[in-house]
Amino acid sequence: MNEHLLDAFQHVFCDPQVLLIILATSAYGVFMGAVPGLTATMAVALLIPVTFFLDPIPALAAVVTLEACAIFAGDLPNTLLRIPGTPSSAAYADDAYALTRSGRSAEALGTCLTFSVAGGLFGALVLMLFAPQLANWAREFSAPEYFWLYLFGLSCAVVVSRGSTLQAALALVIGLMLSTVGFSNSHTLARFTLGQPQLYQGVNFIPAMIGLFGVSEIFRNVLVIDARAEPPAANRVATPARGMTLFERFVARPVASVFQAALPLLWRRKLHALRSSIIGAVVGMLPGAGADIGAWVSLAASKRASKQPEQYGRGSVEGIADATAANNAALAGAWVPALVFGIPGDSVTAIVIGVLLMKNITPGPEIFREQGDLVYSIYLMFFLANLVLIPVGFAAIKIGGYVVRVPRRVLLPVILLFCVIGSYAINANAFDVGIMLAMGLLGFVLERRQIPLGPVVLGIILGGPLEERFLQTLAKSEGSLAAFFSRPMAAALGVVCLLVWIVPAVLTIVRRGK
Amino acid sequence: MLAASMLFVCVLAGCVERGDYPNRPITLICPWAAGGGTDTVSRQVAALLERELGVPVNVVNATGGAGVTGHTRGALARPDGYTLMMMTVEIHMLHHRGLTNISHADFEPVALLNADATALFVPVDSPWQSLGQLEEAIRAAPGKLTASGTVDGGIWHLGLAEWLLTAGLDPSDVVWIGMNGAAPSLQELMAGGLDFVCCSLPEARSLLDGGQIRCLGVMGRDRLEPFPDVPTFQEEGYDCRMAGWRAIALPQGAPPEIARRVAHALRRVVESGEFRQFMENTGFHVDWISGEELVQALDEGDARFGRLLHSDAFQSIRRTRFGPYFFPSLLLGLFLAIGGCLLATGKLGRDPDAPAVSGQGLVRLVEIVAWVVVYLAVVEWAGFVVTATVLTLVLLLRLGTKWPAALAVSVVVVPLAYEIFAVVLRVPLPRGWLGW
Repeated sequence: MNEHLLDAFQHVFCDPQVLLIILATSAYGVFMGAVPGLTATMAVALLIPVTFFLDPIPALAAVVTLEACAIFAGDLPNTLLRIPGTPSSAAYADDAYALTRSGRSAEALGTCLTFSVAGGLFGALVLMLFAPQLANWAREFSAPEYFWLYLFGLSCAVVVSRGSTLQAALALVIGLMLSTVGFSNSHTLARFTLGQPQLYQGVNFIPAMIGLFGVSEIFRNVLVIDARAEPPAANRVATPARGMTLFERFVARPVASVFQAALPLLWRRKLHALRSSIIGAVVGMLPGAGADIGAWVSLAASKRASKQPEQYGRGSVEGIADATAANNAALAGAWVPALVFGIPGDSVTAIVIGVLLMKNITPGPEIFREQGDLVYSIYLMFFLANLVLIPVGFAAIKIGGYVVRVPRRVLLPVILLFCVIGSYAINANAFDVGIMLAMGLLGFVLERRQIPLGPVVLGIILGGPLEERFLQTLAKSEGSLAAFFSRPMAAALGVVCLLVWIVPAVLTIVRRGK
Repeated sequence: MLAASMLFVCVLAGCVERGDYPNRPITLICPWAAGGGTDTVSRQVAALLERELGVPVNVVNATGGAGVTGHTRGALARPDGYTLMMMTVEIHMLHHRGLTNISHADFEPVALLNADATALFVPVDSPWQSLGQLEEAIRAAPGKLTASGTVDGGIWHLGLAEWLLTAGLDPSDVVWIGMNGAAPSLQELMAGGLDFVCCSLPEARSLLDGGQIRCLGVMGRDRLEPFPDVPTFQEEGYDCRMAGWRAIALPQGAPPEIARRVAHALRRVVESGEFRQFMENTGFHVDWISGEELVQALDEGDARFGRLLHSDAFQSIRRTRFGPYFFPSLLLGLFLAIGGCLLATGKLGRDPDAPAVSGQGLVRLVEIVAWVVVYLAVVEWAGFVVTATVLTLVLLLRLGTKWPAALAVSVVVVPLAYEIFAVVLRVPLPRGWLGW
């Protein structure tokens, strides 16, 4: 083991090519993550033809760094413009954007960066210490377990939303209904397509997310743009730059603005960060679940444990911290089943398995013995990628900071342009831009009626898998509902899931009774 | 004068029209999602084709509808040789199931690159050591065993049906649980939720090599080189073959000289050491069929799938117990119940914090939506750069930016966005008559 670790150190740290690739892909990853519509999967897919000409370790270094940086970068547009760069940022879109509107964007992004790195490092540690054991546990997940897991994720999205449970539940059901449009994998039939072949692909969640959050916010701003002179977000730091040394002006002050609130927060909330990272790593490890469910579950746990649950959805730094730690921790988790069984945990690790096979490395339990140095190199690269994220992410935050200073009348059309390109980019399909526009209007109307948008997005994402798992379980048991509780783990998850709904209701009744 | 202005437009657009094909980027449509097997093959072919043809070849994942979306887009594309299609075996199944009118006849097939035969896998601790034992188990308890590997009626499901029919069983004797691909099916197999899985060998390779599952047979002509221990179905006494394949095609009506050029380039790609190495390492089986032979093979394949899909035996298992509107009806019920509760308690009122809608504001909102719709209508014809510049400019002006600033912003931002997306990130943004 130590021998492998030593070899791995040599592969990763003593090879200028690897270090150079990590640096270059970190910038590329931050960019891809920050532009809504460009996903980490797409970024990795674009790299595939290149990776063929690289050795396995530089090739994997590129993928690992790309992933770690892209998921943090999703927080940038999420915080500054309320357009989640990745679905896992959508969990705390309202919180992060609320902070920006009160002029605290640097603090919000500093929190995202600090806790992203903390979560990422912890996730890597979990991967390193427990991969084979955890993979054996994850292997036990079958259709009913997944059904409960998805339902649990969706329930968490309802729990964390501001406003009443019923309003959030309505949002969730709207999202689930949207997910039934298009081709149903369970029935090999098209539903609700109104005879339009374009609708066969259904409502793609990326344009939907851009529309629901980003475009609806543009609409809201357009409505009142004259009424407000300039956005409060543009309040610049008032301290005069004169009389400061160059060091203070260009290093100390920018660094302090980003990290001065976040680092003490990390120390104060170290146990919360640990809990969030564990949730992220565990959920991320299950193939088919991922960073998005991880973020929502962690946010719900955070809200339950918080002394100020009413702040959630209105600019809670604690919530952002816990959710962002979880989604970064989930990344490394997805590599567990990929390395141990060759079953991809998400679309990025699906590509990774392809890359490994291309290099004549077959994932499987043997990989830990026969290719131990490679496995340890992957762990080390996860650590390194998260450390490189600190300066690169910091630079991105500083550059992103200029966005909020641009006057709204200039900014809004440019954002709209990028929303249009981003929605188009995912499938090179003009129809998706139409989806984005329609979802923008829907989001605008829903928000005016106090319906939260987060559950709608998660509903669209998980609706398809939820229905599939539901029908698969029923098909195997020939329609008996007992199948949902017939396996021990399914029963346990089912009970947890039902408690999420029952406990708050009981508590309300008890309080009213007093 | 006319010639001079024409020249000016040409220089502006950077379009020095060379007569010979190809002289601008080519799009390769992949009907399946990024990260899957077809996507991996598409991207590798694109990268190598790029070197042969000397122009960028960009992969677009037009996913959804079990392949309907991508194949429809490929068939309806302009047959100018700048849109290639990575056609997959599903083209034979979609129209027989009434999902689309598109069939292989809407394409000009260029070359088949790869074919992977169906294989059958059981967990390593399963009692069945051979296909014969499995057949007996199915015969002893029809309708009890469960299997998966893809969606209901997908290629691996057809492979299984073919085997059951050959063995004199009914396809409905095994319950097929529709799952979205080989990976979740194998996970389900490991979790004990299925009795066996049908999919291709490369998809199950790592579990197979890891000793977690056992392969009982493969429906190919011969044993596969990387898997010498896996017998063919024929050796086991079942005369059935079924494979999923991937082929490059052009839309129907493409000029023959372009088809020849693409075929020639593809031939060189497939013969290249890199491609062989890539296919060998990933486990995909290289199979080269082109020209008349390919046309014939496609016609035969289509007829065969038609017979199977329309057969009484297969029709009988296509009746799912829970219809397509079961889940949506549940949702509608929930929606009405929750919506009713909210209406009754008056919680659907307007957000008190939301700004009031002024007439002027509403006009602006409608105008923005209208401009984006106009953009969508014009962009395919006028090209991205021109249309997007106009869109940005108009919106900037409408929101009160001054003329010079608005012009400066739109002239800088749009070409910059074009460079990033179309050139660096390979997104095929719409090209107009100016070439960008």
